[in-house]
Amino acid sequence: VTDLAVVVAAFGQLLHDAGVPVTPERSGRFATTVALARPSSLDELYWAGRVTLLSGAAQIEAYDRVFAQVFRGVADVAEWRGQTPSVLATPRRTSPARHDERSRTPPPADGRAPAPHVTTTTGPPGGPEAGPEGDGAGLLAAASPDERLGHTDLARLTPEELVDLRRLMAALPWATPRRASRRTARHPRGRLLDLRATLRRARTTGGDPVRRSFRHRTDRRRHLVLIADVSGSMEPYARAYLHLLHGAVRAARADAFVFATRLTRLTRALATSSPDLALRRATVAAPDWSGGTRIGDALKAFVDGHGRRGMARGAVVVIVSDGWETGDPAVVGEQMARLARLAHRIVWVNPRSAGAGYRPLVGGMAAALPHVDAFVSGHSFAALDEVVAAIAGVER
Amino acid sequence: VTAPDDVVDVDTMRRLLDGVDYLADLGLATALFCALRLPQPLLLEGEAGVGKTEAAKALAAVLDTPLVRLQCYEGIDAAEALYEWNYPRQLLGIRLAEATGREVTEHDLFGPDYLVERPLLRAIRHPGPRPVVLLVDEVDRADDEFEAFLLEMLAESAVTIPELGTVRAATPPVVVLTSNRTRDLHDALKRRCLYHWIDYPDLGRAVAVIRRRVPAASTTIAEQVAAAVARLRSLDVQKPPGLAEAINWVATLDLLGLERLDDDAVGSTLGSVLKYREDLELARERGSAWVAGGA
Repeated sequence: VTDLAVVVAAFGQLLHDAGVPVTPERSGRFATTVALARPSSLDELYWAGRVTLLSGAAQIEAYDRVFAQVFRGVADVAEWRGQTPSVLATPRRTSPARHDERSRTPPPADGRAPAPHVTTTTGPPGGPEAGPEGDGAGLLAAASPDERLGHTDLARLTPEELVDLRRLMAALPWATPRRASRRTARHPRGRLLDLRATLRRARTTGGDPVRRSFRHRTDRRRHLVLIADVSGSMEPYARAYLHLLHGAVRAARADAFVFATRLTRLTRALATSSPDLALRRATVAAPDWSGGTRIGDALKAFVDGHGRRGMARGAVVVIVSDGWETGDPAVVGEQMARLARLAHRIVWVNPRSAGAGYRPLVGGMAAALPHVDAFVSGHSFAALDEVVAAIAGVER
Repeated sequence: VTAPDDVVDVDTMRRLLDGVDYLADLGLATALFCALRLPQPLLLEGEAGVGKTEAAKALAAVLDTPLVRLQCYEGIDAAEALYEWNYPRQLLGIRLAEATGREVTEHDLFGPDYLVERPLLRAIRHPGPRPVVLLVDEVDRADDEFEAFLLEMLAESAVTIPELGTVRAATPPVVVLTSNRTRDLHDALKRRCLYHWIDYPDLGRAVAVIRRRVPAASTTIAEQVAAAVARLRSLDVQKPPGLAEAINWVATLDLLGLERLDDDAVGSTLGSVLKYREDLELARERGSAWVAGGA
């Protein structure tokens, strides 16, 4: 039985290397399940592992891959179960073959392959790192970064300025409008009688509820969702806006997405205090940096996969894009209409709109505009004030 | 009557589920087996209408124990999930004692008689011998604070009521959580749970499930509907119909006395499968005949 522990641990390690965070606790559950259920086919073993080792649907692909490598190809499970290998000679599932087919067409979702390429094109992991950017450094600047950076176009920042920028962005006052919550709290002038508290107080007055306690409905901030375009045409702004996304995820518990040809959720990747780590994880997670733009498809993926389930309901949705759509602009209009029905407010940030004589004539932009509540440029740090105000719903 | 230990392997689990008219595939059977035997809370995810809630019901039926269901919503708190004191009754109790000249103590007022059990407490106080199945439905709708509270309860299988002390479960409940993924659940909660993603069933299994759920329907119509629903899913619809919609559709056709799914039948009953105007238009554009399987 010691062999079982070894195999389970080694399998867990491989999964871990493939990006599935397997804990010893989970490995233990897997081992217990195998001992309990004594799987007699590869399928049964596959499910025992999948149910105990994973914690989300996003990990299934990596699990399938590692399982196929370990159990369907190289290793022979029968050996450590003390059976004759012949029992397991014919796996019914054809997962490895199917997987090969799939992984050939799109780039691997969690693969390491695209990372170096991305690093060279967009820079966030490499660039800022070079500078002296330990926390608290950079205070020596004569003019405050605020003044220096204030009106510089975000596309033209040097790596050193970017480091300053992210400190400034971390301090942005994110505030979405408030809405009534279902929770209640004690309040002297509330309108709901708090029976629990009233009765407790009544004990000091001989059981007569002389002094009554009240509660009132609390309110809470609306959810904030940011969706940023990182396609080729937005590339100069991508680094700066990733800092913005990171700041919003950290400070306002926002949900963050990026898209070029497809939509990638970055909330998890950005939920770390280290900006460098956050950006590195973000570039690995989204393999389509600087690709073409499919705004309509990305919005559809967002509404179908996240927005309609609840994320966008009553939320403030911020879209950062120049509206340059390579697909059909009509799709953008359709999807924006769907999003507008769900969201409380849609803020569209288009850094290109700051240029003199800008007209929103690009197909995608024109189609989206009727459904947008606030249209702002956000092209420099100073202009981000507009973005923050638009999110808060304050008319400027 | 089946005790948890009688479920010796995944195959037995499957057979028992079959016995209560729930057809589980190997994956789901494994998940429920683990939830029961490890035992460990099970987090079920999947598109709407694939049978997440039904799975928990089936497990309760297998064990022949009550299903305790906690439907989560935004702002749910301990008073709604765990317990509440019956205040009107407490007040009456005090008055009655005064009128009859009887002595009442705090001990009387905050005793089991005046306790209103909510789902979590009911699940914990279940005497056994077999565990109840506690279904925490749509846990993603509750807020983070509630999740933390739930986590504590799951970890200890015990809750603390200030006036009564700690109530520990004699037989810890089998816990099934479902989520529609409207938000990311907390890592700590996920870490405690087994995880299973329920996929749409393949055609053969869909037919079998429909036949089981609507026994009056013919095999022909079950097959036609299962195939039609699969075709509708292949369209770019906003809300892809699931198994629940297929069952509804068959039941509707059966109610209308329709023997087979043809153009006309599709035209008049499509509303029981597709619930968005855009989706209906999309399907109509593609043609009722195509949906019915003609061309």
